[in-house]
Amino acid sequence: MGLWISKLWSLFGDQEARILVLGLDNAGKTTILYRLQVGEVVSTIPTIGFNVETVTYKNIKFQVWDLGGQTSIRPYWRCYFPCTQAIIYVVDSTDTERIGISRDEFKALLDEEELRDSLILVFANKQDLPNALSDAQIAEGLGLHDIKNRDWAIFKTSAVKGEGLFEGLDWLANMLKTRRK
Amino acid sequence: MSDGKYFSTTKRGEIHELKEELRSLDRPKKKDAVKKVIAAMTVGKDVSMLFPDVVNCMQTDDLELKKLVYLYLINYAKTQPDLAIMAVNTFVKDSQDPNPLIRALAVRTMGCIRVDKITEYLCDPLQRCLKDDDPYVRKTAAVCVAKLYDINPELVEDRGFLDMLREMLSDANPMVVANALAALQEIQELAGPGKDLLQMNSQTLNKLLAALNECTEWGQVFFCKYNDPLYVKMEKLEIMIRLASDKNIDQVLLELKEYAQEVDVDFVRKSVRAIGRCAVALDKATERCINVLLELIQTKVSYVVQEAIIVIKDIFRRYPNQYESIIATLCDNLDSLDEPEAKSSMIWIIGEYAERIDNADELMAAFLETFPEESSMVQLQLLTATVKLFLKKPTEAAQKMISAVLSCATNETDSPDLRDRAFIYWRLLSTDPEAAKDVVLAEKPVIADDSSSLDPSLLEQLVTRYLATVAAVYHRPPETFVSRQRLAVARAEELGSRKFEEEDGAVAGNLVSDNNAAAAAGAAAAASASAVGDLLDLSEPSPAPAPHAAAAAAAAAPSAARGLDDLLGGLDLGGSGAPPPAASTSAAASSDPFASFGGAPSGGAAAAAAAAAAAGISPAALSQLPVLLSTPGGVSVCGRLVRQAGQVEYLLALKNDTAAPVDGLMIQTNRNSFGLSPVSQVLALPAPGALPPGGVTVPVRVPLAADGSKVTPPPLGTGLQVALRTNQVGVLYFNDAVPLAALTEEGGTMEAADFLNAWKALPPEASARLPLAVPSADVAKQRLAAANLYVLAHRQVPATGQDAIYATCRIGAGGIGQVLLELKFVAGAGGVDVSVKAQRQDVSQLVFDGLPAVLLGTA
Repeated sequence: MGLWISKLWSLFGDQEARILVLGLDNAGKTTILYRLQVGEVVSTIPTIGFNVETVTYKNIKFQVWDLGGQTSIRPYWRCYFPCTQAIIYVVDSTDTERIGISRDEFKALLDEEELRDSLILVFANKQDLPNALSDAQIAEGLGLHDIKNRDWAIFKTSAVKGEGLFEGLDWLANMLKTRRK
Repeated sequence: MSDGKYFSTTKRGEIHELKEELRSLDRPKKKDAVKKVIAAMTVGKDVSMLFPDVVNCMQTDDLELKKLVYLYLINYAKTQPDLAIMAVNTFVKDSQDPNPLIRALAVRTMGCIRVDKITEYLCDPLQRCLKDDDPYVRKTAAVCVAKLYDINPELVEDRGFLDMLREMLSDANPMVVANALAALQEIQELAGPGKDLLQMNSQTLNKLLAALNECTEWGQVFFCKYNDPLYVKMEKLEIMIRLASDKNIDQVLLELKEYAQEVDVDFVRKSVRAIGRCAVALDKATERCINVLLELIQTKVSYVVQEAIIVIKDIFRRYPNQYESIIATLCDNLDSLDEPEAKSSMIWIIGEYAERIDNADELMAAFLETFPEESSMVQLQLLTATVKLFLKKPTEAAQKMISAVLSCATNETDSPDLRDRAFIYWRLLSTDPEAAKDVVLAEKPVIADDSSSLDPSLLEQLVTRYLATVAAVYHRPPETFVSRQRLAVARAEELGSRKFEEEDGAVAGNLVSDNNAAAAAGAAAAASASAVGDLLDLSEPSPAPAPHAAAAAAAAAPSAARGLDDLLGGLDLGGSGAPPPAASTSAAASSDPFASFGGAPSGGAAAAAAAAAAAGISPAALSQLPVLLSTPGGVSVCGRLVRQAGQVEYLLALKNDTAAPVDGLMIQTNRNSFGLSPVSQVLALPAPGALPPGGVTVPVRVPLAADGSKVTPPPLGTGLQVALRTNQVGVLYFNDAVPLAALTEEGGTMEAADFLNAWKALPPEASARLPLAVPSADVAKQRLAAANLYVLAHRQVPATGQDAIYATCRIGAGGIGQVLLELKFVAGAGGVDVSVKAQRQDVSQLVFDGLPAVLLGTA
């Protein structure tokens, strides 16, 4: 009886998910986080360390970890890998020069044992800027289509305009709920 | 199978479990886990491997959790310097938190994390917090700057944090001021003496003083810090007693009570005494002081109790019949008394209040048991107290006691004091007990604490001129304990065996003075130093007569030779044997009515005073003369150039510390900027014309005249080199400076109109700001006039609040002529702007050097 009630609760109550927001520096991770959390564009400085906020969306409590993207901090991403349900990988769509580096970091993530079961959501960010690569080009650049046996999706986003972000979250929410069942 | 696995598995299990819990999304569980980690940390378990997991708990609204994580960080950041970077962003965020507590907490923790790699990232938050709206955040940030300086001084300087700290000294909040000051002080200590971070002027000083009263004891640099060195603590105590008043006594008492419970015995004792002195000095606070003393007695710490009893005795003396109610408490602590002073104090109290202490006779009897073994201080007190007890309570027991004490004190003691006192009491008691009562129980005069009185003029001098020098600690002007320059000293023991005619060259060779060696090496070019400095070059003792030695010197160093020639040639050193000039001196002195005093061979202070009177110098003036030459075990010279009745005079005080009389004294000066030289080279010593041995001070006046032919070419210098010849210890050399007031001539004034014309006609003036305070224009005028600086005009400078005084003086010596001065100052405030005009431009420095003494009235 007790077991049955707790199951019922979890069906109706909030589901929780641990999400990592990763990507090179200056991709827009912190801006995305706060756009999702408070719905506003806040002025940011390079994140030396991390930010963590809770975003409740569609009955899911997302615990979103935004980790600094600078070279010096990337080695410490791995400290955050355990128990991660999803990764939001953010790419600066105007940074054509570093798309290769971004791809290398991305590939390394995919190879991580601890992230084996994580969902992969890619944001092709800064779509509001001219010369931004399209989502197809980003998918190409990151080699998304080579991914086998994993759930992934890519969305065109603009953190400053607030476009595409919640579409991405919709996808995540749906995937998480599907997995739960 | 290895046994090690048991250890590793269990340990790993625990840490692993904690790791899981720290990652939990459940808040209470997470917090619980952090608490477990901190607990493990405090008992010494290594939980550093949880660093990333604990740091991940850092961003939280839960203040308690945040504090725990910060605590962990302070502990382990050093062991995980790389991972510490992950905490930076949270610090940055927290330092902008709306809650000032969190902002301050963040900045404080940042300061405690001594990881070089992240300090750079913390500068921006620190800078923000230094300018925070909340004073608590600002003061915490100030402290943080000092900590950062310890890790990375360049960073602190580059970011301008030192300037920000200095600005904070003007903060509206006293707590901020105090902490900024403390931080600057700490940085100063770290930086070492090469850096002068904290330049005090009257403005900052006033701000600090204003803030002082508002500060907590931690910020009040005045109060003793636990880690102050003992001598600093003692000095601070002394200052606190002096500053104690009815207004602040509660604060002071609170401090003293703290000190009295510290560990340093000397400091504790002095603190207890301080409480007593406050009680004696401030009658309104006596009761509070006594209450504190009683509390201290309750600690039962032996030396505290004893010290308290000693001061309570003083309080009883000061306020008789007012506080006897506490005697009972004192009597409870008799067992802990083992020091003579405390014992005798207690015995005095028992005797004095015998009629109000029911068991006074029992207490006395207990003390008397050890009478023969006590120190004489205690014995004397026991004797008197027993007599008092007997007179107040003539019981049988008291009678027995008194006869026992009297017989013991008269028959069995070696101390004449004790015996005599016992006899007096005995006789008094046996002839007239009533008279004995009148004598022994007479009302005593009230005591007072006069240890804090300071002559007001001395005080002003110390505060305005010598604050922050050792003079302020000694409470004496510096010239009474240091000489202005270090001096060349002839080594008496090396010269003593030689005959005078042989040593004209050797004298110079034996000169020993590191100062002059330095002068010779570094500043040989300076004309004033050259003569004596170059004398050192003549290191080989020469048996040749004086003219040869001088010639040799001339070949070696022409400029020095000139000085040497002047000095030694003038003394006629080459003469055959030492003519006894003492004969003529003593003849002159014997006509002096005071000569009989001065001639007393036994010496001593009375003789010195009499001799001083004979020379027309007051004993007080004698003791004020600055030291010119100090030779322990030899002849020492104190002296000063003064102007008296139109003549420059040397007031000298000579002291002979050798074992034999020193005679044949002659004096000569080297060529100088003013041509000053003695009128007579023979010193007019009081009879018998010699310095008696045994450290007697002999005063002597040496009139000097300005001789135009002995003036050195410019530049002008106040230095004066003097040689003093003796038969026994050779030639002594010393340096002095000619004070301005000795040069300015009487009547050296001019018409105001002439002054104006001259001011316009003379070349542009030299100006300087002298760092001293003039109490008022009238005082300044008075003091200028006393030094023959004639005031021609005085006006108020509009708008600035300054007084402007125009004065003139004439200096005939050295052909300097008329000097025109303008002095501008705000009465009572620091800084006097002086402008000088004269024919010779180099006169200005003479005036700048000499004016402070004139304006302070010490010329």
